[in-house]
Amino acid sequence: MNTIRLYCRSMGLQIRSQLQYPASFLMQTLAQLVMEGGEFMALMLVIDRFDRLNQWMPGDLFFFYGLMSVTFYLTECFGRGITGAFPYMIRTGQLDTLLVRPRGVLIQVFCSAADPRRIACIAVGVASMVLGSIQARIAWSLPKALLLLESIAFGFLLILGLFLIEASLVIWSVKSVELTNTLTYGGRSACDYPIDIYPRPLRILFTVVAPFALVLHVPAAWILGKPLYGWPAWAAFLCPLAGAVSFGLFYALFRRALRHYRSTGS
Amino acid sequence: MSYITVEHLRKTFTVRKKKDRGFLAREKTTVEALKDVSFTVKQGELVGYIGPNGAGKSTTVKVLSGILTPDSGAVRIGGRVPWLERKEHVRRIGVVFGQRTQLWWDVPLLDSYDLLREIYRVPEADFRRRMNELSEALDLGSLLRTPLRQLSLGQRMRAELCGSLLHCPELLFLDEPTIGLDAVSKLALRDFLQWENREKGTTILLTTHDMEDIAALCRRVMVLGHGSKLFDGALEDLYARYRNALPVQELTVQYPNIDHVIAAMYQELGL
Repeated sequence: MNTIRLYCRSMGLQIRSQLQYPASFLMQTLAQLVMEGGEFMALMLVIDRFDRLNQWMPGDLFFFYGLMSVTFYLTECFGRGITGAFPYMIRTGQLDTLLVRPRGVLIQVFCSAADPRRIACIAVGVASMVLGSIQARIAWSLPKALLLLESIAFGFLLILGLFLIEASLVIWSVKSVELTNTLTYGGRSACDYPIDIYPRPLRILFTVVAPFALVLHVPAAWILGKPLYGWPAWAAFLCPLAGAVSFGLFYALFRRALRHYRSTGS
Repeated sequence: MSYITVEHLRKTFTVRKKKDRGFLAREKTTVEALKDVSFTVKQGELVGYIGPNGAGKSTTVKVLSGILTPDSGAVRIGGRVPWLERKEHVRRIGVVFGQRTQLWWDVPLLDSYDLLREIYRVPEADFRRRMNELSEALDLGSLLRTPLRQLSLGQRMRAELCGSLLHCPELLFLDEPTIGLDAVSKLALRDFLQWENREKGTTILLTTHDMEDIAALCRRVMVLGHGSKLFDGALEDLYARYRNALPVQELTVQYPNIDHVIAAMYQELGL
């Protein structure tokens, strides 16, 4: 309970810190809106050329795209400590200041940064989901709404977990490792689209290693009324838990890496 | 029973150096930051820990504050092993890194302190009492609503001290706290440390290059060089022993530059 309060108060502090420079904040948020909005426009143009992609209609594709955007940018907004600030903390030795406080390291890293500018990207994602929902004529019900929330929540965990791989490698190599970006940012770009349009190796990668397919696509397909792989409803509710499993595994890796931390000079 | 016991502490780092030739070739060398350091500190002592850059002072502080795990040796502080019981240990200590802030850059000090209160789970009433006490002793009253980034170096150091003492630690590590401070700020800081040590019985381990800090505060000094403890005792004894090594112009100064003493020590030990 205390930990959640600590997190909320830290986020408040981080967001207030950013708002200390209102002009900069506004301009950067606007820039993000233009960038993300531009990408969405491009997607609309492309989708406009197709009648369908496998079994998916344009509305379905917008929904998939929006779900991924919302989940990913929510993670970047509220998990910035892990998705962005951590490598810098290792390189400068700032992690020392966290280690001398009586709290878990991960929670403190989590609390150490926020990126409220991402609100622009989240807004574009929401717009895409709404558009998709209207075009695909989703008949919303309570289970569907709950499943959507579940999917976003576990997606959040999954993405944090993937960034923890990078965090772990950074402790060993001090400098940031771009390799893991194939899973994080690469995963985001690839899994904007439903998984079944990809060849087998990629399907395996994004089902087993970075299970975006299980966490986001299976629930999304069920919400759209087109069960992926013909899996039943209970599977749609169960699959997102894979996000928590991934997070747990990568967190264990992170714990091991932390024992190798060696700080920097004074 | 000593409060801090350090026995045969060793810590090595592997450093990769770039070779003269070759684009990616790196040479691996092992640097012994600490080789067999032992000492004890009693509760309520104020100990100066001096030595040239790279002597292993910061490494010692990092091991003692639970940041680093040593290669071998035993450390007990208040009955705890710092790196094994990190959370329990750091709840009872405060650390000030001279070069690194622990507060939040863009928000008023009070907000930073409030978050620290949350982190250390200090009860509201205790926090308010301690806050009053510290802000008076450190003369922070008018600064509490100012963001950290707008403070001068001296003000910032006072703010850092306040932040690291809010949870009433039994033990305080100070890593070069007076670095870059003017005379007035230094004096104020020393007064405060004496006050904290006397009134609260806080054990303080102070690393510094400033001999006046040591002379004003510490009855006991430990000198570290090349990862070994070279001297442990009173400052006067240290100077008395190496008086011959001091150049003439330093003899008239009350607290001669420690560099000459250390140079003489190195020569004596053949380091």
